[in-house]
Amino acid sequence: MRFIGLRLARGLLTLWFAVTVTFFLVRLLPGDPVTAVADPNMTEALRQKLLADFGLDKPLGAQYLDYLGQLLHGNLGMSFRQSIPVTTVLMERLPWTLILTGAAMVVTIVLGIPLGVLAATRARGWVDRVIQITGVTAQSLFVPSVGIFLMYLLGVWLRWFPIGGAVDLDATGFAATLSMLHHLVLPCLSLVLIQLGGYVLTMRTTLIEALGEDYVSLAKAKGVRPGTVVWKHALRNALLPTTTIAGLQLGTLVGGAVLTETIYAYPGVGRAIYEAVGQLDFPVLQGAFVLLAAAVVAANLITDVAYGILDPRVRTS
Amino acid sequence: MRRGVLLAALAALTLSAACAPSVPGSSGSAGAQQPASSDRLTIGTTADVLNYNPLVGNSRTDSWVTNLMYPHLTQMDMSGKRVPYLATEWSYAEDGKSATVTLRDDMKWSDGKPVTADDVVFSVMTVKKENFGVVAGLITALDEAVAVSPTQVRFDLTRPDGTFLDNVGFWLPVVPKHVFEKAPSVQKFANDSNWVSAGPFKLTKVERGQRYVMERVDGFGPGAPAVKEVVFRVFPDVNTEVLALRNGEIDVIGNVLPPATAAELKNDPSVKLEQIPSLGWAHLQYNVKRKPLDDVRVRQALAHAVDYEAIRNIALKGYAKSSNSSVLTPSLPEWTDPSAKEYAFDPALSKQLLAQAGVSNLSLSMIYDQADPNIARWAPMVRDSAKQAGITIKLQGLERNTYVDKSLNHDFDIYAGSWAIMDNPPANLGLAFKTGGYINYGQVSDPELDALIDKAQKALSVEEAKPPIQEAARRIRDQVYDNVLYVETFNIAHSVKWTGFKPMPSELLSIVNPLSLAAAKPAG
Repeated sequence: MRFIGLRLARGLLTLWFAVTVTFFLVRLLPGDPVTAVADPNMTEALRQKLLADFGLDKPLGAQYLDYLGQLLHGNLGMSFRQSIPVTTVLMERLPWTLILTGAAMVVTIVLGIPLGVLAATRARGWVDRVIQITGVTAQSLFVPSVGIFLMYLLGVWLRWFPIGGAVDLDATGFAATLSMLHHLVLPCLSLVLIQLGGYVLTMRTTLIEALGEDYVSLAKAKGVRPGTVVWKHALRNALLPTTTIAGLQLGTLVGGAVLTETIYAYPGVGRAIYEAVGQLDFPVLQGAFVLLAAAVVAANLITDVAYGILDPRVRTS
Repeated sequence: MRRGVLLAALAALTLSAACAPSVPGSSGSAGAQQPASSDRLTIGTTADVLNYNPLVGNSRTDSWVTNLMYPHLTQMDMSGKRVPYLATEWSYAEDGKSATVTLRDDMKWSDGKPVTADDVVFSVMTVKKENFGVVAGLITALDEAVAVSPTQVRFDLTRPDGTFLDNVGFWLPVVPKHVFEKAPSVQKFANDSNWVSAGPFKLTKVERGQRYVMERVDGFGPGAPAVKEVVFRVFPDVNTEVLALRNGEIDVIGNVLPPATAAELKNDPSVKLEQIPSLGWAHLQYNVKRKPLDDVRVRQALAHAVDYEAIRNIALKGYAKSSNSSVLTPSLPEWTDPSAKEYAFDPALSKQLLAQAGVSNLSLSMIYDQADPNIARWAPMVRDSAKQAGITIKLQGLERNTYVDKSLNHDFDIYAGSWAIMDNPPANLGLAFKTGGYINYGQVSDPELDALIDKAQKALSVEEAKPPIQEAARRIRDQVYDNVLYVETFNIAHSVKWTGFKPMPSELLSIVNPLSLAAAKPAG
């Protein structure tokens, strides 16, 4: 319990830090939300009135305290441009981001672990070399480049997949589910490609190490089948660093989702962030960052707890 | 080990299975082969609707969608002249202290109530009282609006203002009083559901981040729409819209095409380009409060150091017209000054003017929006041609908000940019060149110019306003308060499967204006 409590306290502190940095960072951006909607017909008096309407005429410290007070009441504020609560803006978008990042994470793990095992068990063979080279290359890819490449190849040239959106207008029932999956493939594949290398290479290295341990030699000496040695004995220990990677990679995944959603016009939180930056819609930006920071903190917390369960030594250290 | 390989194979199969589905009615390749039906017209846009309250929203997509829902008093023909829409007639009183507008009597809100003078009065007076939105800065002369009858509105003005009817007619969306008056603050009213509208199409479905579905309104006064449904679909940028148009996923690209893209699409047999004039112009403004730019000879030297023809032909691929260095552009032919003459590209004359001003080794910085594809192409050309006159121009491509901020705070030597819509010269020149004008970026302060613009604004007809405004434009040109480079010819792309559009000037109206979409129909 103490272990979880400490991790939770650390998570909350991280969240407060993220909220504070975001609050001041968006206000460091050049211009203000009124200049972002600058209209030739605007007068200086009208501009000052708009700033006051947005609460931006108050001193920065007062704005910050107001915002923290709002947050403690679970209120993320009102969007400057849309005149609706930020919670409504984000809740409309969140399911799509969860579908995209969730699918990307599951596919990455489902592919990454077996490929890592395959490389480790064929260490220094040609299969291992191909997997290693592909993994390193994939790790060095940049999400927008991958996204645009896949869009041209599979969307425009081969016309296998739609190049934007999340679901067809006319699709209903099961067809809507299929349409959703159809639209999900390209953005999901883009995220999987940039993440997969990290999982595969980590899995490979840690499994090779684990396979060299005494308990593995003992199991082999006892006549345990090679498959059982790998999957039942060595893999459990080799999974520990991979679990850490899954938690850490969530941040990268979220960053990648912002870019991927923008490229494929996928209607998630990432695209909302992209739009809000251009409009300097501070409340939406702050709300989105708080939400994503909370997601990353929560994922790290879960990772820590999972690590504690997988390796009890962590709990007592 | 065998199990490991099996697992890997299974995982690969899972992924390929996820890739496999081919969905009925999918927005994939099939659309490119099928003929258009009048069931649906899909328009690509690059942004979501941010605000459904037309009195507040001012992004392109906001305007395109809400223009189909909330009528304006007038629309515009291709020469920029106002044409009837909700209003059938409009005029000023002889003393210019009031204006009267007569409305159609056959327009209805979607809940069956008629659109009346009360709605117009409510819309304009709400903007005045709450002081917000695009229109607020345009109605400073308004004292009171009165519904004389259900189809007649009288605007009482505090001073004669010949720009008032043009401005209110074009920019003011009329909203249903019986819906909007219930909001404690109309400015803060999101109007994001249960829309009561009066246009050729009504909004029926919103999938934020994806699309906006609008259904035909039968019995729409100004003309029954042929197409049953209009869908605005959101894309990340124009390039993706082009791919979607070629793939048959959309029928119209709402946004203006960059000239290079237009040149590429020109020969595509499946695409038709509609050319519409811009109501704005691209220009360079010099900060006249900074030395040595306060000397007109230096500004003239800079004006002679630009190769205008090369910019229009190379950077704009020929999709641009000369405005003869005048702020009265060919897009508004009834205002243009036939005596206007473009500054010649003459580096030798430039050098001579600088020598007369006693300026040597002139080095200036030029700000521009780096995301603007046109300016990003011609900014280096401005730098290179100036070099021939011995002038060094350092380019500062900036992120848009930084650029706007620097412009409004006059933090530049040279500002490179373009106005989007300058639809009424007396009103627009007031904002851009009168002392203290909101978009007077170059800090021009010239009492003689102010007086000319004031005189034009008070005139109640184009004939009366023309002499002072042309004189003002000549002064702006001669003093180089603005260096007009070109007026862009906008290219709007649509599938050849559609026809009947009624193009109007500017990206705001183009072929997605209400009268155009009501007239659009499948070709053949």
